[in-house]
Amino acid sequence: MRGDLREEQGVEIVEVKPIKDGGLIFIEGFPDVGLVGTIATSYLIDKLGLEEVGYINAETLPPIIAVSEEKLRELVRVYRGGRIVAIVSDIPLPAPLVKPMAYTLMSWVKSKEPELFISLSGLPDPNRLNIDKPGVFVLGCNPELTEKLVSINGVSKFREGFIAGVKGMLLREGWRLKVDAAIVLAQSHYNYPDPGAAAEIILYLSKLLKIGVDVAPLLESAEELKLRLRDLMRRTDQVMHGIQKSKELELPPVYL
Amino acid sequence: MERRSLWRIILEGIRRMEAEVNRMEEELFKMIKEAEVMRRCITPLYNLYESGDEVILTADLPGTNKDEIELIAGEDYFKIEAPCKSPVRRIQEGRYVLHVRLPVKVDPETVKARYKEGVLEVVAKKKITGHRVKVE
Repeated sequence: MRGDLREEQGVEIVEVKPIKDGGLIFIEGFPDVGLVGTIATSYLIDKLGLEEVGYINAETLPPIIAVSEEKLRELVRVYRGGRIVAIVSDIPLPAPLVKPMAYTLMSWVKSKEPELFISLSGLPDPNRLNIDKPGVFVLGCNPELTEKLVSINGVSKFREGFIAGVKGMLLREGWRLKVDAAIVLAQSHYNYPDPGAAAEIILYLSKLLKIGVDVAPLLESAEELKLRLRDLMRRTDQVMHGIQKSKELELPPVYL
Repeated sequence: MERRSLWRIILEGIRRMEAEVNRMEEELFKMIKEAEVMRRCITPLYNLYESGDEVILTADLPGTNKDEIELIAGEDYFKIEAPCKSPVRRIQEGRYVLHVRLPVKVDPETVKARYKEGVLEVVAKKKITGHRVKVE
């Protein structure tokens, strides 16, 4: 029996356990640069003991079902624990799905009257090998939100550049629908899994959301995690070509 | 009407090209995974750049250590081999193997390499021959 079902442009969000209360914080970690968002969100789900409460289905997702510990699991899942709702995916979103997913997801989030929606991502830095402590950058879809997010020590504003793919489209939809949506990025390898960058994002979220998550276990298992995520990174790299993700290495043109 | 048909033909052509690229990439993924399972040889993720007078290769080699990495640098290739110790099923006791053909010739005696946080970086100076030309 399905809970609430929303369907727009072939994307449906199914709440197996309905999410009824407002004021929640939504965190999204779809795979992209360095799998930073995916690693950080999955780690939070594990450490905060979030429970699977729903999934997202779409016409353009490949016909695949994942199996883990002898159990079937959806490719794109929604988790909940207390005031945090997290969304993760086992596969990169195909390019044709990016916009429909952003429209449907943000419209669903708006219907929940959230406190905040946060996308987590990597900021590609070709010099990452020389960076011991990746910098964290934040951007809200309105200036007041950016000021609030940057009030945590040690982070900077994302001042200019491009944000490609579903993260950029979610931010745009949040701006359009007047949802407090933001993106948190850490300097990262472009197409190598980067648990070190994910750890910096978790440290920031720990302070912002007062959730006190220890990143030591993540850093200790970093090499194993990189090996486990190699195939996902390879496929994500392929998809990133299709959405001009390398544009994030450029600055917007200035005509004056 | 005629313009719409032309657009449809162009769009169908683009879709066919996309499908062909997807098919080729899927074939590549399949070949990589089959080789990894059959030969226990792991193809690492890697990037190859040209920057000014240098050629730079980086490769993601988690689960090894710098003393066990074998790097051979030729004028037009890098060959990297390293053991990979991992608890990940199918990768246990595997071996990284990467043979990359370089886009330009390099001077093998200039090659420098370092291994940091699971990433190997190899930098070589390009072999540049020619005559200096005065710009008028």
